[in-house]
Amino acid sequence: MSTIALAAPAAMPGAPARTSGYLVLAPSCLVLTIFFALPMGTMIGMSFMDAQTLSPTLFNYQRFFSDGLSLAGLYRTAVMSILVAVCVTVLGYPVAYYLARSRSRWRALVFALALAPELAGVVLRTYGWLIILEDRGFINDMLTHLGVIASPLPLSKNLFAVVVGLTHVVLPFGILSLTTSIQGIDPNLERAAQMLGASRLAVVRHIILPLSVPGIVSSLLIAFTMAASAYATPALLGGARFKVLATMIYEQVLFYIDWGFAAVMAIALLIMMLMISFLGIRYEARRSSRRSNREGGAS
Amino acid sequence: MNAKRYLPLCLTCMFVGPPGLAFGETLIINSYGGPYEAIIEERIIKPFEEKTGINIVYDAVGSASQDYAKIKATRGQPGFDVVVMTASQSLQGCKDGLLEKLGATAIPNLGKLAPSLAAVAGPCGAVHEVQYMSLLYRTDKLALPPTSWSSLLDPELKGKIILPTFQNIMAAFLMEIMSVSRGGDMIDNVDPGFAAMAELARQSIGFEQSSAILESYIKDGSVWAMPFWNGRAQLLVDQGVPVDYVRPKEGTIPLIATLSVPVGAKNKPAALAFIDFFLEKSSQEAWVTGYKVGSARTDIDIPEDIAKRQITTQADLESLKLPDLSRIAEKLGEWGERWERDVVSQAN
Repeated sequence: MSTIALAAPAAMPGAPARTSGYLVLAPSCLVLTIFFALPMGTMIGMSFMDAQTLSPTLFNYQRFFSDGLSLAGLYRTAVMSILVAVCVTVLGYPVAYYLARSRSRWRALVFALALAPELAGVVLRTYGWLIILEDRGFINDMLTHLGVIASPLPLSKNLFAVVVGLTHVVLPFGILSLTTSIQGIDPNLERAAQMLGASRLAVVRHIILPLSVPGIVSSLLIAFTMAASAYATPALLGGARFKVLATMIYEQVLFYIDWGFAAVMAIALLIMMLMISFLGIRYEARRSSRRSNREGGAS
Repeated sequence: MNAKRYLPLCLTCMFVGPPGLAFGETLIINSYGGPYEAIIEERIIKPFEEKTGINIVYDAVGSASQDYAKIKATRGQPGFDVVVMTASQSLQGCKDGLLEKLGATAIPNLGKLAPSLAAVAGPCGAVHEVQYMSLLYRTDKLALPPTSWSSLLDPELKGKIILPTFQNIMAAFLMEIMSVSRGGDMIDNVDPGFAAMAELARQSIGFEQSSAILESYIKDGSVWAMPFWNGRAQLLVDQGVPVDYVRPKEGTIPLIATLSVPVGAKNKPAALAFIDFFLEKSSQEAWVTGYKVGSARTDIDIPEDIAKRQITTQADLESLKLPDLSRIAEKLGEWGERWERDVVSQAN
């Protein structure tokens, strides 16, 4: 009885079921229209406008593809985001596995530690890394005093520093996504494999990893999009020598006051993130579909 | 219910307000934080409130460029009545129609400002302060004070200088000065300036945008010389840091700070009154001696030791290279790209 009630929710009194469905969706659609679609439309319109004369132009797009700096910024953003996504997923996986499977009394502590970075703001954590990594920072100071190095190692104002900082910022999200996925895998499968003689490594390689691919894809996508759109960490740890699209957009908006060109950069960033998300989601959909077909064929 | 018991209290709160809060006019001023906030509170805001009874709400959020972006995004209704920015933003705001034009009728003290500086800021900015780009150096590291901007290229300063990023207007100003000193000009022929900046980049330890971070390098001794606004340089001297600053022989470019009123400001009469008050002779004297900067008024009376280091006389004004900020604004995009290619790429 309860199943029937859940499957067919009661329509609002006096309104057909379809209308009440639209009414339920209306608030979220309204919010999305006001706070996402309209600003996005304004931004796209702005990208086709000349900053000085406000007349329509394709100049901003032409400049994006021809000045050399913008495409280099896009490339740096992509490389940085891919590295962060990989680091977050590789570092997060063992922690997520532990959290999903362990019954230890330390589990709660590890869970709290994994999420602890989120308690401090991004800027605070980034300044922490700056203090550790910069030329006058903890690592270089220590190595210099120990006589290991004569001049500071280039640990900040570069790709390395930004990837380290962003991995720290994004890691909790990757861990959460992977933990949920691993928790969904039936532990009996692992036990069965081990009873049939599979080693621990073989279980992880042939059972856990393949079954947790949705979580891995989700972790990669979350980390990629969060890294690509991050501003504070690349600005502080990348500095003038490692500029990504987010920092370049900030400069165009605030310093050059060229909002049209900033809009083109923002659109390029958005397209890159949408493409990567689309590819990830499509890969996962195809994989699920192949698996369903195989299971259907086997039965 | 005890409604009757609470009614008098409610009515008192509605009509009288909580104790200690005056229900007078309110003026919202957007400016800077840090030492600036403490000094403006003491030397300008408090005397203004005492004189007029107008209550000032001080908003220290945002740099000048962030404030201007806010004015632009809100089409002149950023939520503050007076904003402290630089002449670059005042000019742009006038051009965009987002700032009020200021006149001597509403602000009589505008007529007391040096015409050359007032002209640089345009009709929407009231010049309340003048700093200049100085050459700041460590007195305990350099045997002799530097006298020229080219001193930054001395071999002894290799790896001991730091440069501003291009998003700090000091970078463009330094490039222009170097351009002029090497046979170019300040706008149309800046090739020598960019060549010099590429040399400086090779000499430097890198780039920083914020003045607070720039000064941290010279404070801890990892940098021995750098370009720096003289107001902040003087604050470092006063703090006892072993530094001093000079106006090099090639000359320098001023940083002209302005007060402006967004077109959508809610309390324009009070805003104009505040600007006039800030430009009064006594206020300018208080500001110059407090914040250790120069003034666009040449009739102020200040102690000799401050006067000789600041822009306060007609002779001081004539020694400055006054930039055409509108032309610079037109060139910034092009120069910014060139800076990335020719200068940043040369850094160690």
